[in-house]
Parts: sequence; structure tokens; C-alpha cells
Amino acid sequence: MQGPFQDSPRPVDGLPVLVEGGGVAGITAALDLAAAGRRVHLVERSLVLGGQVLNLDKVYPTDSCAFCPLWTDIRRLRRDPAISVHLASRVIVEEASAEGTLATIETKPPPIAPERCILCGRCAESCPLHAARPLGEHVYPPSFFMDETLCNRCGRCIGACPTAAIDLERNEERVSLKVAAVIRASGFREAELSPLPEFGHGTHPDIMTSLEFEAWTAEAGRNEGRITRKSDGGKPGNIAFIQCSGARDDRLLPWCSAVCCMHALKQASWVKRREPGVDCWIFYTDLRTVGRDYYAYSLRAVEGAGVRLVRGRPGLVHPLPGGGIALKFEDTMTQKREIRRFDMVVLNGNLRPSVGDGYPADAALGQDACGFAAEPADAASSAFQGSAAAMRILTCDGGGPCRA
Amino acid sequence: MPGVIAILCRCCGQIDPAVDLAAVREKIAREDGVVSVEVRESLCLPEDGAAIEKAVRDSGADRIVVAACSPYGKAGEIVSTLSRLANRPQIRLVDIREGCAWSHREDREGATAKACDLLRMALGFFRYGARSADAAVPVHPACLVVGAGSAGLAAAVSVARAGYPVHLVERGAAGGGMLRMISRVYPSDAAADEKLRPYLEEVERNPRISFHPRTRVAAATGFAGDFKIRLASEVGGENVRVGAVILATGAGAWLPRGLYRYGELRNVLTLMELERRGREGKGAAKRTVFIQCVGARCPELPYCAAMCCPSSIKNAVALRKSDPDAEVTILHRDIMMPGHILERYYRNALNAGVRFVRYDAEKPPVVSGGAQVERVEVFDVINGISRTIAADQVVLSTPLVAGSDNARLSEIFRIPLDRYGFFREDYPLHPLETRMGGIFLCGSARWPVSSGEAVTQGEGAAAKALAILGRERISALSMGRMPEGKFGHARVENRFCTGCGNCVAVCPYEACALQRMGPARVSRVNKMRCRACGSCTAVCPNGTVQMPEHNARAVGAMIRRAFAEEDFR
Amino acid sequence: MNVQGSAGEPARRTPRVLLFACRWCALIGADAAGRGRFPLPASFRVIPVECAAMIESDSVLRAFASGADGVGVLGCHLGGCRFNDANGVALKRMETLGDLLEAVGIGRRRLLLSFGTGHEGHQFAGVLRTFYAELEPLPPLSAWRGPLLNTPTFR
Repeated sequence: MQGPFQDSPRPVDGLPVLVEGGGVAGITAALDLAAAGRRVHLVERSLVLGGQVLNLDKVYPTDSCAFCPLWTDIRRLRRDPAISVHLASRVIVEEASAEGTLATIETKPPPIAPERCILCGRCAESCPLHAARPLGEHVYPPSFFMDETLCNRCGRCIGACPTAAIDLERNEERVSLKVAAVIRASGFREAELSPLPEFGHGTHPDIMTSLEFEAWTAEAGRNEGRITRKSDGGKPGNIAFIQCSGARDDRLLPWCSAVCCMHALKQASWVKRREPGVDCWIFYTDLRTVGRDYYAYSLRAVEGAGVRLVRGRPGLVHPLPGGGIALKFEDTMTQKREIRRFDMVVLNGNLRPSVGDGYPADAALGQDACGFAAEPADAASSAFQGSAAAMRILTCDGGGPCRA
Repeated sequence: MPGVIAILCRCCGQIDPAVDLAAVREKIAREDGVVSVEVRESLCLPEDGAAIEKAVRDSGADRIVVAACSPYGKAGEIVSTLSRLANRPQIRLVDIREGCAWSHREDREGATAKACDLLRMALGFFRYGARSADAAVPVHPACLVVGAGSAGLAAAVSVARAGYPVHLVERGAAGGGMLRMISRVYPSDAAADEKLRPYLEEVERNPRISFHPRTRVAAATGFAGDFKIRLASEVGGENVRVGAVILATGAGAWLPRGLYRYGELRNVLTLMELERRGREGKGAAKRTVFIQCVGARCPELPYCAAMCCPSSIKNAVALRKSDPDAEVTILHRDIMMPGHILERYYRNALNAGVRFVRYDAEKPPVVSGGAQVERVEVFDVINGISRTIAADQVVLSTPLVAGSDNARLSEIFRIPLDRYGFFREDYPLHPLETRMGGIFLCGSARWPVSSGEAVTQGEGAAAKALAILGRERISALSMGRMPEGKFGHARVENRFCTGCGNCVAVCPYEACALQRMGPARVSRVNKMRCRACGSCTAVCPNGTVQMPEHNARAVGAMIRRAFAEEDFR
Repeated sequence: MNVQGSAGEPARRTPRVLLFACRWCALIGADAAGRGRFPLPASFRVIPVECAAMIESDSVLRAFASGADGVGVLGCHLGGCRFNDANGVALKRMETLGDLLEAVGIGRRRLLLSFGTGHEGHQFAGVLRTFYAELEPLPPLSAWRGPLLNTPTFR
């Protein structure tokens, strides 16, 4: 129940705001806060700003490149003197009080310092284990990084680097800050599908999660946009996209991950665009196309490009001894049961918030959370939720919730 | 007259295997206007910054050519640092690494020739390239919010509480929008009036909010920071001046005339009519059938309006709760309830005993009865059988459609509409921004959303507005500009303009306009709206409108020098 | 660089290509091609523009007149232009220019139009190499061999 609003002064020299998460929601919140005169500390646990959207090949419904609009915002953010970016960092302690929150940020400085890296690649050339490599195609600013799971600390790269950018002995750093508030924008990650063995994840290289498939078929990826089987490089005759694998399932994730239906339609549309001969099947329960232009997009995919829709969640995904993958499913609209062979299977649905065990039991949206951290959300929703979270900080001086 | 200094970066040995920097230096040093050429080991490391700045300052040059790596890497930062020097030099970046050395490693002669040509092109640019004059506009620190529904109220209250005056314009008698017409909101099932009350109270008591009921926007001119708005009401007109505008005009209802015996049989109602009955304490029936996707997801209206499934479920559960013997069935094509909150809401409905039957668009349900509705026949696709469901009321879930005033407001504010009539946003990942700087969207004006989401979007739009309102002045060059924007804004040379209007027609931001100059009409560029795309420059028949940083002479000079070194070889 | 023909034939040089590239998809692709160290002929030059819409037909013609054997107009893919589909206007203009080039004997093949097909490194390299393969069999457009500096400006 809401009470009348408390009038509060506009915080001109207020405490900085901490934004946890450097994806679309966090970046939008940070930019809006800085534009309105607040200082921001953006804490991102990876070495890259951009979150999950940066790794996507294309976005719906515009079918444009995912990275471009985000990349522009990241460059604006990096230039903004009011925003301090903490990469490879996480918030380890938070103590809220009436005067604000004392937050401790722990940073693991990467062995290759991005501010000194000139992309020459001599570290990669000198590394016998291929542990040093570029951060990624669309990362801004571009840099090399050390994959510490592969590095054996032989130190050859240190001498090879012309700018003395490499130090394998960097220690963790901690900084404590008094902040007005914390905005949680930590986004999502994929949940392990092992509790659901019927989907066969891990039993065949061509049974992939949706993000694995996205990386595999991305124009910026190893396969350069080609649609081929991971197992043997051949062209697939058909691909099955299984919706709600892991989602809307009390055994794993009891919620709907919101973005997967459109994501599958997008992936299938692009497969058809690049290889019209590949038969794409989407196995769904409810085909959720609620956003702007989403339904029209689905019509183009189905009626235009010939993507097939089957209502039913396959009960078994199993590699076949002779090659290929068997799918056992029921088309609930015809009540026919079938076992069909597919070349590739994409499992869509197992998205969970990055931080924490799930969503709180009560339905209220956390005041300080935005994007997938608050509720499964697509990129556009994450963006305006980030703006809204910024606004809620701007109208209350870091104290309690601004609205019930 | 200060000249040009050229700085070539060795990039710690990444450039000179392919490009003979000594030869380049020698050739460029001989060019007209070049004060000095230096080769440096690196330019981007923290320790280089001070030395470079000193060298530039000592040379007195006001134009600098930096030949280094790509602008999308470190070189962009060098440019940022140098451009902040006191004499604000003009800087031209030439990419001789990604754009030369790294792609031509097997052709040292060719790469060196290319580097010389690229540098000469930059020098040619400097001969004729000019700089756009900036314009700074004082910001009127007030905001206009059009529409006082959930989104508009949230936007207005947010802006006011952040410290700025708001003109909240509403064409109806009072604020509240859709919340006035429904009894409860989902997913909290709180009473709509309770959700509304704090906002209406704030509008009442906050002196910064000027509420204009029964008022419409009649005209608008201007740009971000300075909009002149004419408001019209029954009692007369009023002019207000604001720095930012938020469109929160919501959506409209649609009546399913001719569908499912609506208007023919009694007790066939729309969802909104059911909500109104609910507010009046009526609306209960022994047997209710909801039909989803009435008039939506069909060729005439090919979109999903998002709200209908949750709204029907909300009402269905309410019916079951008020009468455990009530039979409630929802006929649907997909249940559009994404996320975790709505998924739980859906499951609660199942647990509350609401029945769900799926039908296919090709075989829609058939509603029949005598004077009033008696039954609905539906083909249950999941079970593959036809069902006849007895019904005392049939509720048709119709979509929200674009507001009836959208077309008029689109003309006034120059914001385009999409094919369904909703206001268009400008760019992916920026859902609340329009092609007009300073004008923002929120709520169902943009796309049908629930009142909870409309509130979130209203707050978001308020945050966007604050970026403008919080400043005393905004500069044209900072508006809608991309990082390291090389290009300023277009400029018209009045003497030559023939008033043809090509630029006016092609500008995506309506930044060009024809204005009277004596007996003639000439084009004038609104610097605040111009985003330097250059569309106008390319359609001008006599080169009158130019981008100073990309004017015809500069381009010509670059083109002529592009293969100069190649010709020497 | 000149490619020697067999005895008696005039030396053929690698085609000269001038690219007008928008600062977004096109230049990002060119940049990525460099970072990926894709080997490319050294005889192309890039003039960056804010948007393909900024490119005048006049500039393309001047490029041909100044010694380019091929000219490229590179922009973002249709639907992805951040300036409200301004690239669509550019594409139409350039397609009409292609008709003009055919009419005056330069030929449409010497005008490369790439809208959204070159934003990754391997794509930019591929587009450029394909263009070079188109141009190589054609004779050099201009026999002009002398220096082009110090000519009077003509506007």
C-alpha cells in the first residue's frame, strides 16, 4: 500500500551510486545517473562491459547487430568522467545504514593490464598454451587477456610484451565506498541442465543451449556465420529448437524466461536466411510474442521463412548411434506422437538470475533491481528498467524506498 | 599562422615492419604548412601523455595529424586528451595500423605509399576543413508531460520530486487513465483506486506540478531545452515553455463489433465492460467464458497486446474467489504471461480452478443464444474434441489500440508512428527516446503495457528528461552526439540557397526548414536537431548546405591526394 | 604496384580503390579486418563519413576522375541505420548513380555498394577481395600517371 510521497531535496553533491552489473540495464542506469549529475561506480564481474547482449549475433525484432548500439553506449560511458568502471570486480560487503551504504568492491586486476595493452599479440605468440588471446570481437576497449585456467605462469609473455603490461602476480584489491544506494543489474546466466537428463545436454556436440548455438553461428564467431554441425562440420538438414527446456519446470526453474520464444524465432529466422534449405522446428508451449513488433516478427519467421511450429515439449533428446539426434515428442495440437531425427538441437529456456538462487517468493519487484536480476526481461525492458532504477535514486536521497 | 604538426606512432614496433616511418616522415615534412613531423615510440601509455602534450603546446600548432592505431582503440583516447588542450586544436586521426600496417604486411612499398597518401589526405582535409560553431541553448528547467495515466503520473511525480516544475496535461477531467476504469490491478490484485491515490494526491499537493485537465496540446515548436507549447482547453489557451517533453498518452480501447455476437446478444461484453461492472459491484455470473485474442493477432491487427491474458486471468480468479461454485473458462491461443511473476499468477489461476481451453485461429469459438448468450462452442485442439460450454456471460478480450489522438500529436511533435499507430522510438536499446531530442515516450503510447510497467517506463522517461533539465545550458554539439564525433552540424550558405527544399525533405530529424529571407526562402539548419548524418549535404543541388568538417573542398582535396604517392612510384 | 604484363603489353597496376565508409558498420568491419591481420591489397584508401547518406554522387564521380579504378560506398545494413534509415536514401541514390555510370561507359561494376555486408573483419576482407577480383580484369580507368597535387580546385 502506498503512502503519500516524502518530498526530498535534489541531491546535487550526493553520494555516488553503485551499479552492480555492466549489461544493458546497468549501463543505462549508469549513463542516466551520470547525465543527471550523480557519480557512479559501475561494478562488473567480468573483464567486459556489455553483458549478455554483447555476445548475441543479432537482436530481435530489428534483426540488427547486437553489439552496435551497446558499443556506442559503452564508449560514451567510458568517456564519462562521472562514471568509474570496476572490471573483474564484485561487491563483497554491503552495510546499509541511514546515511547510505558502505560497500566494499573487490577487484582481481587481470594479468594483462588493458590500459597498457596495444593489441600487438606478442603475448599470444609467445604462449605455448594459448592462454593469452583477444578478449572478443566487439569488446570496447579491445584488449588481450589471460585465461587463467590455462596459464601455467611460465612468464614467457612478460618479456614478449613491449609495454610491460603483464604481471602475473597481481593481488586482489579492495576499495570501500560510501554510496547512496546500490542498483542491482546483474543480469542472467544459463542454468545447468544436468537435473533434466532427458534433454541430453552434454551427450552430443550438436545438442546445445541457445547461447552456445548463438556463439556457434555468430558472424563474429569461429564459424563466421556459417550454419554447420559442430560434430563434423557438415550442413544440417534440420534443427530443432526446444522451448521451455528448464523453464516452467518445477524441477529446475519454475518461471518463464521471457526472452526465449523470440530468441528462438530470431535464431531460426537467421538460419533460414543463411541456409534456406535447413528445416527449422520450434517446439513450444506458449509462443510468447508480447513486445513491440514481436508478433509480426513471428509471422515473418513462420509464414515468411517457413519455420515450423509444433506445440509440445519433447520428452527425450537422444544421440543416435548412426549419427544425428532422436527427438521424441507429441504434437499436442494433433495428439500425434513421433520420433524424428534431427541434426542439431537447441535448448532454450534455462536462464536464471546471475546472482542468488532465484526470485523472491513474494511478487514485489525489488526497488533497487532492474533487468533480469529483477524479472526475466528482454533488452528493451532492461534498458527502461535501468532508467527507472536511476530515477528512483534521483528522487530520494539514498534513504528508504521511494514508493511502496 | 599556426601550422600543422604530424605525430607518427611506431606503436612499439607494430607499424614499422610494414610502413617505413622514416620515409613517411621525410615526405610529409616537406608538405606545405607542416611545422614538424615527429615519430614516437608510443602515444597511448600513461607515461606518454605529458610528453606529447608538451610537444604539441611547444610547437604552437593548432592542427594535429596523429598517425597511429585505430580510432576504436587507444588512438581515440589520445584524441580526447589532446583535444582538451587549452588552444583546442583540431585533430585528425589517421589509422596506419589496423588500416594499413596490419593488412599489408607483405607489401612494404605499398603500405608506405598508402601511409603517405593517408597523411596527405589528412593535410588536404586541414587545408579546407572547417569547424562547426557550437550553439549553446539555455535550458528551460520545466517539463511537459502529456497524459495523466499511470505512465504520465509516474513521470510527472518523478520529475517534480527531483526538483523541477511539471506541466501535466490531461484531455480528460481527471488523471488516472485506465486505472479509473478497472477495479483491480495485476499481479498484486490491489484496488486500482488505491494504486492511483498517492499519485493523485501528489499532483494535488506538490506545488511544482501544474495540472491542466480538459486540456490538449494544440501546437509545439522548438527543440531540446526550449520547447514552446501551446495548450488549448475549453476556457482558452496557454503558452508554456519547457526543456523536455514526455508523451504518456496511453492507448485506446477497441470494440469488437461484429465479432462473437457482440452487440447482438446480452451479456457478451468486453473485458473493460466487465471491469466497469466490477467497479460497480456487479459482474458476477455463474458461468463465465473468456475469449482471448478477439481482434488481435489477426490480419487486421497483427500484434499481441500483452495485457489481455493477465487481465482475463485476474478477473477469472476474482470470479472464482467470490463464488467457489462459479464456472470460469478461458479460451485462448497462447497464454502470454512471460516472466516469473506472471507465471506464478497463471499457476494460481490453475489452482483456483479456472479452466483453460486452447483453440486455433482457424477454428474460432462460436457464441450463441436467444436474446442473451447461452453457450460457446469451441474446438479444444489439445484434446482434439469439440466442446459446448454453457455460459451466462462471455467476456471478449480485446487489444489495446493506438490512442485516437496519436496521429494529431505525431504531427505536432513530429514523432513518427509505427504501422499500428503507436509512437516510434528512435533506436534499439533506447526504447524511451524518439528521433526528436528532448521528447520521450512512456507507457502504452509506445506499446501496450500494464499499469505497473507504465509506471516503470514513466520513471525511466523522467530520468531521460532530467539529463536535460538538470543543466543550465546544453550545447548543440553534445546533443545526440556519438563519441568523438568528427562532424558538427550542417550549415547553409545563404547566398546560394535556391529554396528547393531537398534538404528539408530528406532530413531524418526535421532539422532543416525553409525560412523567409527578404523575398526569397532559404534553408536554415536547426543546430539542436541536427545530428550530422549528412543527408542534406548529399541532396543539395548546388552544394549550399555543407558539413564544415566534410565540405566539398575538403572532400575534393582528400580525393585528389588519395593516390598521389602511388602516382609517384 | 604495377603488375608486369607479358612482353609488349603495358604494365597493369593493382586496381586503385577509394572507399567511403560510414563510421559504424563499415569502419568497424575495416578495423576488425586490420586487427585480424587479413592480408589485403595496399592500393585502397578509406574516407570515413558519419553515415553513407553523407556521400555525394559528385564525390564518387570525382574519385573516378581522380584516378580510382573502383569506388566503394559502405554503410550499415538496411534497418540498422542509427540515423533513421538515412542509409536507404543513400542506397537509392547510389543505385541511380550506377545507371549513370553504365551510361557514360564507366560501368556499374566499378561501384561497390555494401550495406551491412562488411561489419565483421572476415566479411570486410571478403567484400573487398571480391571487389578486387571484379576490377582486376578491367583496364585501368585512368591512364593519368602524373602527380595530381597542385591542380587548381574546381569549385
